[in-house]
Amino acid sequence: MKQNLQSIQPVIMWKIARDEWRYWFRSKLAVVALLIGLTCTMLTVVVSVGDAFELEHQRGHAQQQSEQTFVNQPDRHPHRMVHYGHYVFKTPPPLGMVDPGVDSHTGNTIFLEGHRQNSATFADQKQSSGTTILGALTPAFVLQVLAPLLLVIMGYGVVSRERETQTLSILAAQGLGYGNLILGKISALLLVAMLMLLPLAISGIVVLSQGESLLTLSLFLVGYLLYLSIWILIIVSISLWAKSNSVSFSTLAFTWLVLCILMPRVATTVAGVMVPAAGKLEKDFAVVAELRQLGDGHNAKDKAFVQLEAELLKKHKVNRVEDLPLNFRGFVALKSEAEITSILNRYAEDRMHEELRQSFFARQFGWLSPQVALRTLSMLTAGTGLETHHRFLRETENLRFNFVQRLNQAHTNKLNYIDDMNRNKSEAAGQIARISAKNWNVIEGFKFRSSPSKERALQAMTPLAQLLLWFGMFGLFLRNLQRHYS
Amino acid sequence: MKRNTQTLPISIDAQQLVVTLNNKKILNNLSFQVSSGEVYALLGGNGAGKSTALKTLLGFHKPVSGQAVIEGLAVSTSLSAIRKKIAYLPENASLYPHLNAFENIEYFLSLAAVHKTHAEIKISLQQVNLQQDAWQKPLSKFSKGMRQKTAIALALLRDSPILLLDEPTSGLDPVAIDEFNQLVMSLAKQGAAILMVTHDVYGACQVAQRIGLLRDGALVGEFVADGGHQIDTEQVHKAFTAGVID
Ligand SMILES: Nc1ncnc2c1ncn2[C@@H]1O[C@H](COP(=O)(O)OP(=O)(O)O)[C@@H](O)[C@H]1O
Ligand SMILES: [Mg+2]
Repeated sequence: MKQNLQSIQPVIMWKIARDEWRYWFRSKLAVVALLIGLTCTMLTVVVSVGDAFELEHQRGHAQQQSEQTFVNQPDRHPHRMVHYGHYVFKTPPPLGMVDPGVDSHTGNTIFLEGHRQNSATFADQKQSSGTTILGALTPAFVLQVLAPLLLVIMGYGVVSRERETQTLSILAAQGLGYGNLILGKISALLLVAMLMLLPLAISGIVVLSQGESLLTLSLFLVGYLLYLSIWILIIVSISLWAKSNSVSFSTLAFTWLVLCILMPRVATTVAGVMVPAAGKLEKDFAVVAELRQLGDGHNAKDKAFVQLEAELLKKHKVNRVEDLPLNFRGFVALKSEAEITSILNRYAEDRMHEELRQSFFARQFGWLSPQVALRTLSMLTAGTGLETHHRFLRETENLRFNFVQRLNQAHTNKLNYIDDMNRNKSEAAGQIARISAKNWNVIEGFKFRSSPSKERALQAMTPLAQLLLWFGMFGLFLRNLQRHYS
Repeated sequence: MKRNTQTLPISIDAQQLVVTLNNKKILNNLSFQVSSGEVYALLGGNGAGKSTALKTLLGFHKPVSGQAVIEGLAVSTSLSAIRKKIAYLPENASLYPHLNAFENIEYFLSLAAVHKTHAEIKISLQQVNLQQDAWQKPLSKFSKGMRQKTAIALALLRDSPILLLDEPTSGLDPVAIDEFNQLVMSLAKQGAAILMVTHDVYGACQVAQRIGLLRDGALVGEFVADGGHQIDTEQVHKAFTAGVID
């Protein structure tokens, strides 16, 4: 049988890979890089998973406590309860342990009260019990940004080193083809990548036990493996193309800088330019201006409610507000809350729409940087992306509106108007203008759930396509390069 | 002892090789033949194209015209079969600095699918006179000559019928050069075809049955040992330097 230099020989590949590992073990730089990589992924995974359990415990406790204290309030004026408010917590999805996604800057706690929509606060980084640096170093960040750099440090010389010392021609003289050499070097680096991914894969067991589906977990892991494979192809291609070690290293370091550091920033900047968002301050003023026209819901005598009063009197065929079968102050609060909410919702929807459009543009940069592609895939499959955060905002807003209106309803129906109007006259009058604590049971139990795994998998198809394109592109590039040198 | 090299089979046959690199003609109609049992020295100054000639025989460079034939097989079509027959010692050969002499030899032999025992490797390291206390040291601690010796040991262990040696004695001390020349001659006696590239006139005359004088990628003269006598050093030296001077 004639053996072609191009034919793939697994035994030879294995020998090449094994020797590369031997080289790494004997050269200190590579060992240090490998150790840093493994320690970082391991440590961040352990810390993140630990933190997640700790936080989950705290959150569950705090959520329960918040509900308890609300319900346990004594008899009160119902509107004081509207302002007393209530905290809700966003339970992160299981994969949020390894990729907190937008949660790390949007926060996951929200205070719900009447007449206003608060934004989420307490980003993970501030809440994390770990040290700040480890809090910022999530497994996702380590694998997306740090791991490629470590692969570069370990792999820039895989071919260029042999070219520089001329062992390349000795290898060739032993009958070794470039194809097997390259596949061997790729295997060696792939093993490094898989080692770096191992802690992530192991944390997958925890993630599964937390109810994540195998589909999303697999997609998540495949995304990371694909990403590191792309880097390996880039590294081997450039090491093969470069005339010397120093050229190979500087080219790769530059590539890393562009793809992992620069591109993600450029993506955000360009997205901001493409979808110019009115400044937050400007928007706040606009909301306030619009709300001012509504009239103050606390003051039933506000000019804004004159017409409402007239209609109501006419409807109930009475002449005086005091004769209405309901508490007009409560009724005004009910109406006013509905109107305020509709305005606030309009602005909120606007803002979310804007954010989505911006992130749409930013995500297109996945065609220009595999890091952007993986970042998107990772967040979307984990369920920590912008879409999920928006759903959280909508669900909590719904929760807020419902409990506020239930209180306003109680205000309207269970508190006498005259008592209500006299509430500030004296201490005793204040005591009378109250309703029973039984009415505080208006908060729906809240548990934020991740989106169905199929939905998340579908959302992740675009970034997956981006990663596959990168993989195919560099696979072909390397193949042509190899043919050229053979 | 009289030997007639012409009756032995031709192992290396360079037929009017023309090789261009970067649009520059490096080999210009180069033709020569080496039979088995013969040492052929390709003599030439720096940049004459000696290394390029060897690399072309190995198929690292493709000739734009002419062809190289090794034991009857065209290099262009039977690359892998040909590389199995050839042991090649590159110029300034250095094996892996992170491995010791033993590991290096074992590794490269295993890639060539040549199996040698520990004892056989030892014999070879002794043959090239690499001091024993260095065998287990990484090559990064070796001198140039020691690295050269390790690479030579590897080439010997390939048991190849054809050896292409690119300035094999550069970096060796005079004693080592003498020993190496003896080794080369004994290998030829055992039937190997040896093509050695050098700019060392004295060394070439000592070991070679024939010397080809290479200038600007073409042979400008050939010297043949007359019977049992060595080629005349004076004569070769004169021809060699003549070209350099004018
Ligand atoms: N890969 C290459 N690309 C371009 N030019 C080359 C290459 N290798 C050698 N040369 C040129 O070919 C000429 C002959 O080189 P070489 O065969 O190494 O000479 P020698 O071994 O006789 O000193 C030199 O001028 C050198 O610059
Ligand atoms: Mg040379």
